[in-house]
Amino acid sequence: MSAVAASPGPDVRSRVLDLGAGRPTIEVLEAGRGEPVLWLHGAGGIPVWEGALPRLAARHRVLAPLLPGFGRSEGLDVLEDQLDLFLHGFDVMAALGLERPAVVGESMGGWMAAEMAALRPRDVGKLVLLAPVGLWRDEAPVVDMFGHMTHELVPYLFHDQGCEAAQRMLALTGMFSERDDRTPEQVEMLIGLIRGFRTAAKFLFPIPESGLERRLWRIEAPTLLLWGDDDRFVAPLYGRLFAQKIPRARLEAIARAGHLLAAERPEETAEAVARFLAA
Amino acid sequence: MKFTWFHLMPYRWLPDDFRDRYHSVWVDVPNAIYEPEAGHVLYNEYLDMLEYADELGFDAIGVNEHHQNAYGMMPSPNIMAAALARRTSRANILVLGNSIALYNPPVRVAEEFAMLDVITGGRLIGGFPVGTSMDINYCYGQNPATVRDKYREAHDLIIKAWREREPFAWNGKYTKLRYVNLWPRPIQQPHPPIWIPGLGSIETWDFCVEHDYNYSYLSFSGYKRAQKMMDGYWERRAKVGASDNPYSAAFFQQVCVSDSDAACEREWWPHVDYFFNKCLHLYPGTSAAPGYMSEASMRAGIVSQVGNTTQNMGMNKTWKELCEQRYIVAGSPATVRQQLEELARSLRVGHLALGLHIGSAPLDLTNRSTELFAREVMPHLRPIYAEYEDRWSARPLPPGRRMAPGAGLPHGPGNGAGNGAERAGSTRPAAEARA
Repeated sequence: MSAVAASPGPDVRSRVLDLGAGRPTIEVLEAGRGEPVLWLHGAGGIPVWEGALPRLAARHRVLAPLLPGFGRSEGLDVLEDQLDLFLHGFDVMAALGLERPAVVGESMGGWMAAEMAALRPRDVGKLVLLAPVGLWRDEAPVVDMFGHMTHELVPYLFHDQGCEAAQRMLALTGMFSERDDRTPEQVEMLIGLIRGFRTAAKFLFPIPESGLERRLWRIEAPTLLLWGDDDRFVAPLYGRLFAQKIPRARLEAIARAGHLLAAERPEETAEAVARFLAA
Repeated sequence: MKFTWFHLMPYRWLPDDFRDRYHSVWVDVPNAIYEPEAGHVLYNEYLDMLEYADELGFDAIGVNEHHQNAYGMMPSPNIMAAALARRTSRANILVLGNSIALYNPPVRVAEEFAMLDVITGGRLIGGFPVGTSMDINYCYGQNPATVRDKYREAHDLIIKAWREREPFAWNGKYTKLRYVNLWPRPIQQPHPPIWIPGLGSIETWDFCVEHDYNYSYLSFSGYKRAQKMMDGYWERRAKVGASDNPYSAAFFQQVCVSDSDAACEREWWPHVDYFFNKCLHLYPGTSAAPGYMSEASMRAGIVSQVGNTTQNMGMNKTWKELCEQRYIVAGSPATVRQQLEELARSLRVGHLALGLHIGSAPLDLTNRSTELFAREVMPHLRPIYAEYEDRWSARPLPPGRRMAPGAGLPHGPGNGAGNGAERAGSTRPAAEARA
């Protein structure tokens, strides 16, 4: 997916941040004006500037750094463990000149945002978590994103398989099927996609849970949890769990949405986020 | 040439509709279809086959390691090697398992291999596979982004543990030990030969060259489809100035021998069919966790999530197709001789690992094939590459210094069982004194 990130959209600026010697080099996508919002992407990266992103950028300055392995960002090797990853998030925040920004995280990015807010509670102004991973209950296992053919994940990610975002993802991931007649460009694109998944795997394989639940009480930021009411990837019960454990949290459901609510219900998602940030 | 009789140890009673009813032969195949009592028969028959190969003069007998797998029932190859250690006396024991990144601490592998080497009088060949993604990532939970780094660290620790004669501290990224101090240490000095099985990843080739290990290409697709991969290996060796000694490579080929080509098809087809159409029923979604393959290997077209996974695996092929395309080398001794000579010369491999048990084959059929191979094929192929030195076989103690189970040493008093009291605190063991 990252291979197509070169043209995220007409109104989106892309730049590369050098965080210093021995640290990652990070591509940051940016659009819009107003109060800044730090957007932490999910395991699919930000291949195209679409869904809730442009709608949120109509009211906010949205800054979306890409983790190493996504887009033009490099340097995964120096992020050896999860603590390195969370501290890297603060390094990026500082390099972008953001102080106590609102942080919005989607799925894997939501997990990272929650961990950051628990680690340094005073450095996150507001927190928005879009169906984050990070908790575990045996009765509702989070779907194994690393143990499926990628196209097989689509039914878990959307409420409506016919929606535009689902169809686009199917077309892209169809190349993973058992064929070996791909063009070199297609091979590079798939390698780029796997490069991003590798980053996700480094921190989330094999089970995306590593103690966040016992740290959630530390979060001080007012928190909005948004969950698709038909999330088959991370069941809505996790939304209730997050809402119980984070002191100042509110849970809202997005109707007729699956796990990737920002892609499937962009208007409703952007509206809910903007309303919360304005309050 | 040297010959290893190599077992996969498949479960032989998968149901007829296995492919329709089950997702895969590996990782999530429910153990409800495993019958422990049937397994009891199988383990014992399979060990009988390996012991028979020792009797017939195969250079080595081989076992490997898989987890949660219905065609490979050896999660612990060391247990199989231990069972063979005292029931065999001549053959090298090739343990092509111990995916060293899985074991915590990795010195456990150094200890167990040393035990096997000491018990067998130095007949061990140790294997350090990275392990398939199914085994190490999906079944054993290793992180695909870091597992190769962990593998290298485990390797360095094991080798150092074998070489050092004083306790040392190991402050690794994945293993931290205040005292590493191996008891026992191996008979073969500085350590048993190491073979690295691989499916063609470039990193594995380089690793073998760097450490002078044998590269063992374990393919189920036969030697014709291995040409490109083995050419790549030899080119890589040439490029870095390593020798082209054929014994630095091993190749796995499934083989069945009968009295005639026609008899071979009649006797073996059900078992070959079972292997290719049930045992290789694999789910592509768990073939390579993200990060398991390097980008260079993916670009080189290695089988992975990017490449295809089942098209070339030999499913849905007829006996004729499997034979013609050399997925199997099958037929009369003359046919097998001719094809294996072609294999040896085209791939330039000195070590041939033979899959002489295939799929659901029973004991008597397998032993018959093994016997025909030993008597009518092996002697004809032996002279190939005789002019090269084989530095990748075990270097056991001479027979006169090797214990026979229940009988002590063949000759000479003083070293046998029962004289421990005299020995205690006095002299070093014979092996060291004479080394």
